[in-house]
Amino acid sequence: MTVLTTTKAPVTVAPARRRQPGRGNPRARRELLAGYGFLVPWLIGFFGLTLGPMVMSLYLSFTRYNIFTPPEFIGLANYVRMFTDDPVFIKSVKVTLTYVLAGTPLKLAAALGVALLLNYFTKGSGFFRSAFYAPSLIGASVSIAIVWRAMFGTDGPVDSALGLIGLDLGGWVGNVDLAIPMMICLTIWQFGAPMVIFLAGLQGIPQELYEAAEVDGASSLAKFRHVTLPMLSSVIFFNLLLETIHAFQVFGSAFIISNGSGSPGGMLNFMTLYMYKRGFADMQMGYAAAIAWVVLIFVAIVAALLFRSSKAWVHYAGETR
Amino acid sequence: MNATASSASAVPADSAATSVALTTTASNGVPAAPTTAAHPQPWAERLRRIGGPRRSPLAMIVWFVILLALTAVILYPLIWLAFATFKPSSEFGQNFSLIPWEATLDNFRKVLRGIAGVPLSRFFLNSLLVACLAVAGTLISASMAAYAFARIKFRGVGGLFTCMIGTLLLPFHVIIIPQYIMFNKMGLIDTYVPLVIGKFLACEAFFVFLMVQFIRNIPRDLDEAARIDGAGHPRIFLSVILPLLRPALITSAIFAFIWSWNDFLSPLIYLTSPERYTLPIALRLFNDATSTSDYGATVAASFAALIPVLLFFLFFQRFLIQGVATQGLKG
Amino acid sequence: MFSKKLAPALGLGLAAALLLTGCGGSGSSDPSGSLDPNQQITLDLAFWGNDVRAGMYEEAIVLFNQQYPNIKVSQTFLGFPEFWEKRQIEAAGGGLPDVMMFDYSYLRQYSENGLLLDLAPYLGSTIKTDGFTEAALGIGVVDGHTTAISIGTNAWAMYLNNDILTATGVAPYPGNTSFADYDAWMDQVTQAGGGTVYGGQDWSGRIQNFEIWLRGQGKDLFTDASEVNFTAAELKAFWEAGQPGRDGICVPQSKLEEVYPKFGLGSGLAATELTWDNFGASYLGDLGVEQTSLAIAAPPIYRAGAQDLYLKPSMMHAIAANTDQPVAAATLVDFLLNSEAVGAIFGTNRGIPASATQLAGVNLDPLSQKIYDYEQSIADRLGAAPPVPVVGYGTIEEKFRVLGTELGLGTITVDQAVDQFLSEVSHVLNS
Repeated sequence: MTVLTTTKAPVTVAPARRRQPGRGNPRARRELLAGYGFLVPWLIGFFGLTLGPMVMSLYLSFTRYNIFTPPEFIGLANYVRMFTDDPVFIKSVKVTLTYVLAGTPLKLAAALGVALLLNYFTKGSGFFRSAFYAPSLIGASVSIAIVWRAMFGTDGPVDSALGLIGLDLGGWVGNVDLAIPMMICLTIWQFGAPMVIFLAGLQGIPQELYEAAEVDGASSLAKFRHVTLPMLSSVIFFNLLLETIHAFQVFGSAFIISNGSGSPGGMLNFMTLYMYKRGFADMQMGYAAAIAWVVLIFVAIVAALLFRSSKAWVHYAGETR
Repeated sequence: MNATASSASAVPADSAATSVALTTTASNGVPAAPTTAAHPQPWAERLRRIGGPRRSPLAMIVWFVILLALTAVILYPLIWLAFATFKPSSEFGQNFSLIPWEATLDNFRKVLRGIAGVPLSRFFLNSLLVACLAVAGTLISASMAAYAFARIKFRGVGGLFTCMIGTLLLPFHVIIIPQYIMFNKMGLIDTYVPLVIGKFLACEAFFVFLMVQFIRNIPRDLDEAARIDGAGHPRIFLSVILPLLRPALITSAIFAFIWSWNDFLSPLIYLTSPERYTLPIALRLFNDATSTSDYGATVAASFAALIPVLLFFLFFQRFLIQGVATQGLKG
Repeated sequence: MFSKKLAPALGLGLAAALLLTGCGGSGSSDPSGSLDPNQQITLDLAFWGNDVRAGMYEEAIVLFNQQYPNIKVSQTFLGFPEFWEKRQIEAAGGGLPDVMMFDYSYLRQYSENGLLLDLAPYLGSTIKTDGFTEAALGIGVVDGHTTAISIGTNAWAMYLNNDILTATGVAPYPGNTSFADYDAWMDQVTQAGGGTVYGGQDWSGRIQNFEIWLRGQGKDLFTDASEVNFTAAELKAFWEAGQPGRDGICVPQSKLEEVYPKFGLGSGLAATELTWDNFGASYLGDLGVEQTSLAIAAPPIYRAGAQDLYLKPSMMHAIAANTDQPVAAATLVDFLLNSEAVGAIFGTNRGIPASATQLAGVNLDPLSQKIYDYEQSIADRLGAAPPVPVVGYGTIEEKFRVLGTELGLGTITVDQAVDQFLSEVSHVLNS
């Protein structure tokens, strides 16, 4: 968040700021009134349904609260327990990080690869684009989770197909080592949304750049390396940020695929899932709130790191040209 | 959110400049501001793209075959699902192949009979009602908020905009428990209020952001002209901005509908009477661990539930994909 | 602030929101002694199960309304885990449904927190008790208050899949052997099954087996005062005794993961499964087989002659303390528990009815007959019921199951599992 606003770019700023919004200025007062007037619904929602509950859950995270008796303040005990006396939580952190750090880059690589392929075509790419985008809309539904279990089960389509090329892995669903890869396949399957964004980015790259590169005798690879990638870096960054945050919040599909259990061997017990179980099944609301806050902190850290690093590798049009 | 506070001070109280990072896509001419995406480049111009004119027919065919194969792989799970609806429940977990051993229509018969004496059509109608309210609420509240963020200059707008963007990053799980306790205290359990109130209060920041982006690309001359004619903000909003915002409104409406249609967790938590259930919760009933697990009916019902989404997709995919392309919305 | 055009739009939205709120609460209140036949009353009834059971309740309520047309019953149901998640949350806000199906393992928690109506004023009058045995009634008593009544009873048992036994040519498990002999028997099936079917699933993954293992030594899992009543060494010995099963005799855990929420027997992978005796109907549905394909035997026993088994309420009915209509609720409970016609509708879907009057209406199908006969046959092994499960027993039971799966997958050692389990138990008991 912090860095969200640091990359200065010439946006569609108003045609000169007319008057400073000063006190006593009737125009400014009217604007103030209008501004907050239009924001009334959003303000109620923000304070009532987002900020208020957040503060409350932060408070709960320092309590022992079983929902029947009033919350009992216990300081940092929940956080201490999490990191010192709860191997299941530690495992859920590992599982979540593995999923996020492996799944997101792979998904984006797939999205970029297919976007390049589609960009190569002019005719018919609309059909493919739509077909590839469809999974993004339905990927989290109950039915897809059931399908996924079947796809990756023993003697299922995936097992059989791999058997044909001599890889006999058996079912993935019950395999401790393959459960996360199975989830990663599910997220890669939904590569359509970032792909569409990449595609839009590719179509926005000025043709002259490629022509100039060709004049210099650049190979296809060189063109990709020196024109496409830099021109696309802001889009890559945007996708990376959104997909990473999204991946941290994986819940529905893991919940449904493991039937709420987080099995096999806790390999699908993502932090969000564990939080839900602690809160709603075990009624350890304080502990659950603490887990939720740790998830939030992880998301904030990763987002901040991404923004920091972006200065080094994200190029903007002005710099390249 | 925690970061929001720290950044707020660094943000100039100018709503336009605040959006920067997330607008880079739109502002650098790199990918598509709404206006450009809405008008795909002419075919001939696109042909000039990388190596365009020099592509050999053979390479084209090879790539095309690869794309076709990829399509088959990607769509296979959906095809599998379609076939699975004809499998008897007892084949699930045993027959993993595409073709049912003993094809049957029982699953659909069972689904049509409904659950707990509630016909399936009722669940469809409930889902439809909730989804329509979600759409209405989203359009009204998000467009108002977006107008304020994009067009009105007032004290505090920068900080508030940052807060709004911050909620984009917020893991939803942080607020679910307190929200439930709140709605419970207000006696709103087993009503649709908890499901739609957030939509009427612009809590889905994605839509606000999408519309802010769109409004920023509407030339200011139009408002200025209206302002000179003596129009205030409400008039400018209603008669200048809203009509021009139509493409963004349509995109938002479709996404709001589909997200609401697919939503599972909120109705699970808030709805208790079967006659008020939405589809995803009704689906879950078919698949209960303590009694007979009826995968067949679950699959058939899930398939039926997907149909509206797929239809929406077929008819409105242009808007969906443009929405995604322009704003990075995700399904 | 808003123009004339905008205001109606907003008003509409607000009106819609208000309209939706109208769908909330239930009938008015008159918590007096007797039922006024002219008063219109609405009761919420919640139970867990699937649509088959829901259909049965639907029928039962139609009958109920023939007698009490003024009481509208609106029923809600969910799967077992979701049902309890929802009740837990409602309990927090004091918004429990008037009449609930109830589970033994949550009884203490809800009773001790004053969430359930003390049924004493209604017992023997509104809720007739002559069909119940003393033992059946006693089981819903927490700290001297009766807060729930058994719908039916069940006992721990072993289900056998006759089809697998026929195919593998192994004689049925005789029942009442030692755990080691059960392992040896399972091994025969597994050997004959050739990697497609197995003798059973790891019995050390279920806390109920640990319970009968302990009860075979004369002790319960927890004391009356909700303290742990077993040692780490005992738990370790139990999980280690399960090692041969995990080393190739039983269904590999990775295969079970794939079929979850079905288990070994229900998925057709295992010839036997230790479970509650009222689970037969769901196995039939899971397997898609005839009733004759299932048999019931007595579980293995730690020490011959021990009284390790007990009759447990399979399900109970309870009334929320926050109900506005206690008399009407009690009337409904009585009807659901005692009516012969209701018995005819449900059969043994909710276990063998605890009420003799209701049992009279049940037409026992072959499987129900087997269950009934089984519960008669184990009379010698039936001991006193253990104390009502501790608060949070559901969490403890689930933790035990999950650790069992981890042992099966080899992701933790027995020592680690023992540590984790005891740590979890202490957190649950102290919270």
